[in-house]
Formats: sequence, C-alpha cells, structure tokens
Amino acid sequence: MNTAMNDPAEVLVDCQSVWKIFGSRAQAAVKAISERGLSKKQVLQDFDCVVGVSDASLQVHRGEIFCIMGLSGSGKSTLIRLLNRLIEPSLGKITVKGKEIARLNAAELRAMRSRNIGMVFQSVALLPNRTVLENAGFGLEVRGVAKDERNRTAHAALEKVGLGDWTARYPRELSGGMQQRVGLARALAADPEIILMDEPFSALDPLIRRQLQDEFRQLTKSLGKSAVFITHDLEEAIRIGDRIAIMKDGVIVQVGTAEEIVTKPADDYVSDFVAGISRIHLVKAHSVMRPVAEFKAAEPHCDVNVLLRTSPEADIAALIDLTMQSDRDAISVVENGAVIGVVTIRGLLRGVAGTPTAA
Amino acid sequence: MDISTITDTFDGWTDNALSWISDNGEWLFDSVRAVLEGTYNGVLWLLQLAPFYVIAIIAALLGWRLINAFAGILVGLAMIFCAVMGLWSETMSTLALVMTATILALLFGIPIGIVAGFVRAFDRFLEPILDLIQTMPPYIYLLPAIALLGYGAATALVATFIVAMPPAIRLTALGIRMTPHEFIELGQASGLTPWQMFIKIRLPFAIPSIMAGINQCLMMAFGMVVIAGIVGSGGLGETIYSAVRTLDIATSINAAIAIVILTMVLDRLTQSVARRAKGDAR
Repeated sequence: MNTAMNDPAEVLVDCQSVWKIFGSRAQAAVKAISERGLSKKQVLQDFDCVVGVSDASLQVHRGEIFCIMGLSGSGKSTLIRLLNRLIEPSLGKITVKGKEIARLNAAELRAMRSRNIGMVFQSVALLPNRTVLENAGFGLEVRGVAKDERNRTAHAALEKVGLGDWTARYPRELSGGMQQRVGLARALAADPEIILMDEPFSALDPLIRRQLQDEFRQLTKSLGKSAVFITHDLEEAIRIGDRIAIMKDGVIVQVGTAEEIVTKPADDYVSDFVAGISRIHLVKAHSVMRPVAEFKAAEPHCDVNVLLRTSPEADIAALIDLTMQSDRDAISVVENGAVIGVVTIRGLLRGVAGTPTAA
Repeated sequence: MDISTITDTFDGWTDNALSWISDNGEWLFDSVRAVLEGTYNGVLWLLQLAPFYVIAIIAALLGWRLINAFAGILVGLAMIFCAVMGLWSETMSTLALVMTATILALLFGIPIGIVAGFVRAFDRFLEPILDLIQTMPPYIYLLPAIALLGYGAATALVATFIVAMPPAIRLTALGIRMTPHEFIELGQASGLTPWQMFIKIRLPFAIPSIMAGINQCLMMAFGMVVIAGIVGSGGLGETIYSAVRTLDIATSINAAIAIVILTMVLDRLTQSVARRAKGDAR
C-alpha cells in the first residue's frame, strides 16, 4: 500500500529497438539488418534466419502492469525472455533498473534474477519432490536465506495467495489453479520489483482464470510491484493490464491503454482483434461525447446545465445507467466545474458499436 | 607378406604387451588384487556373520516394506529354500561378489555418467567404447583379467565390473540430460549457480533413471558372476561349472535354481526402489 513511495514515472524496464534472430547465420543477419535495414522477409530469404522479435521498444514503469498480447508465434514469449536474459538479444539495448543487462557478468546476472526479476511460467514448474512450502521458498533457498526465515516468508507469500493451509502438501495434490498460485507465491516470496508472467493462466479453466486475474491485479497493485504479463487473450490483457502492447510476427504493432487500443486500433489486425471486445467498461465519456459547442449549435433549445452530470472518465455502462434515470436523452460531461461535452443516445450507441464519434 | 604373417605379428605384439604389463605392473596388479579381494572378503564376512534365517528374515522384511506382504513371504521362503538345498554358503559368496562388483561399478559408473550427461564431447567419445564393451561376449574379459590378476575372486570382480558398468553410465547420463526444459528455465530465472542447478534441479529429476541404471547394473553383474565361475570366483557359478565338468546334473540344477532365486529377489527389490523414486518425481 506504499504506492506513494513509488515514482510512477520511473522506468524499470526499458527496451530499445531489440531484435532477436534465430538461426545458424544470425550474426550475419544482424549485421545486414543494422547496416542495410533488411526486412524480416529478406532476412529469412537471404540468411535462412527466423526473426523472433523485430525492433521492439517498450518501457515498463514502476507499479505498472504491462501486458504483451499476441497469438502463438508472435514473439511474445521470446520478448519476455529477453527481459531477464534467458535469451540473449541479437541487437538493441535492454535496461533493467538502470543497468544494461547484456553487460552483466554471470554473478551479477544471477543476483539480478534472484532479487529484482521474478518469473512465473505457464507450466508452473513446481518441483515435484518438494512440498508447497519448499517450492514457495525456492528463490530464497537459492539466495541462501536461513531456513526459519525462508519458511516464514514463504508461508506469508502463500497466505497472500490463499494457500496458507496447504504448505505441507505436494504439488501433485493441488489443482491447476492452486499450483499456479504457488508459482505466484514463489515469485512473490523472493520480493522482486518486477514479475514476469509468461502466460500463467492460459491453461486454467475460464472461471478460475478470471478469479486469478482479479487476484493477481489486486495483489500486484497492493504490493506495489511491476509486472510484464504475456497473454494470447485480449480480454485477459484488458482485465489485467494498465497498458497493453499488441504483437504480431515479432513486431509491436501498438502500445496503449485498453481504451486507446479499443477505440483507436492502429491497424486492421488490431481492429479485427478488438471487434469482439465488449466496450461498455472500456470506452469512457470523453471519447463518445460531442463537444459542448457543437451540441449547442445542433440543439439550441436544450440547456446543458439541466442535464444529469458525469465525469469524462465514466464508462458506457455508467452512462447508460444515467440515461435511464434521466428524463432527457443526453448527459453532460463535466470537468473542473465546466460542461465540456454532451453524451447523446447516438453517441452511446456509437460507443457500444465501436465507431468513433469523431467520424 | 601374406595375411597370416600380419596376424601373427599382431598376435605377437599383443602377447608381448600383456607379458610386459604383467612383468612391470606386478606391484600395481598385486595391490589391485589385494584391494578387490579384501573388499569381497569383508562383504562376505558380513553376510556370513548372521545365520541363514536372519538373512532370510531381513530379505522378507525388505520385500514386505518395498513391495507388499505377499512378496515379503515369497522372498523369505525363497531364501530359505536356498539353504535347504545346501547351497547357503555358495549363495552368500555369489551375493557378496555381486554386491562388491555392483558397488565398484556404481562408484565409477555414476560419476562418469554424470560427466557424460553434461559434456557432449565426452559422451560422444564414450559411446563407441560402451558399445564395444556391450557387444563383446562377456567371458572375453576373463582372459586379460586372469593373465594379470590370476585365478580367483579378483579376476571375477574385474570382469564383472567391466560388464556391469555400461548400463549405469548410460542411464545416469540419460537422466542428467532428461531434465525438463521448463525446470532448467526456472533454475536460470531464479538465479541458480551451476552447482545449485545440478543439485537442486538436474539430479532430482535424474534419480529415477539412475535407479534404473543401478538395477540394470546389478542384473549384468549377476550374469557375469556366474560366468566367472570358470576362473574360480567361488559361489554358485563355480558350483555349476564343476558340476557340469563331472556331469552332476542334480547339483547344477540346484545351483541354477539358487541363482534364479537370488536374481529375482534382488531385481524385484531394486526395481521397486526405482519405481518409488519415479513416483516421487511425478
């Protein structure tokens, strides 16, 4: 709950034009890219190398949950592994907490991984011959923390994920959802600033998944952690992420908040994706309202000051509620005491359907 | 120069080399022999310390704990049957030989297997040697051993050691290489040192395979110990060999039964340990 201590502008993870090229002639391909700016297709043709991540740049701020969304083969799993150097970048610079990780030696890299960057895997990877408590304390054990303290911290982490009573069990005795909670507890027990989540909930059934998504977001925010969260499910990205990066064929196509991505998709690929997404909690009043001057010109008889009022951040669900309560067909949007726009029923319908008001 | 001359020259070299080794390495082979026979006699002394029914009861208890009560009873009865046939001391000699040879083979085989699991180049170098050892008829190993170490238990132990080691090496190396990828990744992402990665991740996942290797090693040792009866190893192998020479069919069948009993008992016991290790790793 000490979010006040965190400077939200501080960049914890910074990727600048990062490339990852797989193949036996990756070195030559990298050279060709940096010198001649080859495209991915040319790299495949000329060097028989596959481009996993292509010119990716992103910043993760302190306290932020950053989702990377893409289908399989989009390079999202490669990208997240570049952040803790499980995979070495072919080109580009990755800085974590101000240190360029490619320059760390083996011991420094180990220290960074065990203290600053935790990771949770889709496969969970709980050690089968250890109890839940021992698994949760694994990161601390590796760091050489004494057993008593390690068990105390691990127990506290398990309490946070609601598994305080399961410490003596073995992973095989737990359901998939519970196992993934242990995976999360293991990452939390080591108390890193950044948690990398590699499709952690993808293998779970929908109900458990939603529950874990909400718990994860709430837990991460309350502990003031930053997270990079990989998913192939846009709805999951929207539920969890403060900002979302959409990846396709190794390229980050768009980065933005859920609302930005839904209301202003960068290209056809993204708009195809967002087509099926329910907008009623995503689209806010400020993006469906008509500016107040335009409204007055069109409806000279209507006094905007007698309409029900709301803030620019009210979502469509709230606007619909207000409209139902009102005896008129419009709601004023008020910011700093002044009416800045009006949401009409037309605007609401556009917002639900997904066509921007500006059009 | 025709072919037979080449062959003769080669054979001459081999003979000369062998006699040179036995002349100049006498001190070495004497000490090897002393160590091997000392170990064997120690194990045998331990096994003969208790009367046959105590050993049978211990075996029955192991069978009960490791498999089930029925298996325990069978194991106990089978061991008593060996004593009833009048072959108890031979059975214990064979057991001592097998145990000594297996322990020696594991002492070398498991560390070699671990290195082979990690170092691909070493594994590639080892592969043809192991293939060669395993395709040669096992009694071949008795010849150089008898030339260097003489008639007796030491020769049997060395030949058995050579035959029993390859499965331990192979299955240990396999186990080390088999670590699931996601756990390697977990280890890396948690900041493990290479040593921690070996002890905390690779070794636990290799245990079931290593246990299977121990079982295979034991079975190979059994086969060889019986063959080694020819070189005066003592035990059931020698009983069979002398019975065959005097056409004493009854004794040779009894000894064969005792061997089958001992083999099956040890196989089932170690297999069940291996299964347990596997169950833990799941």
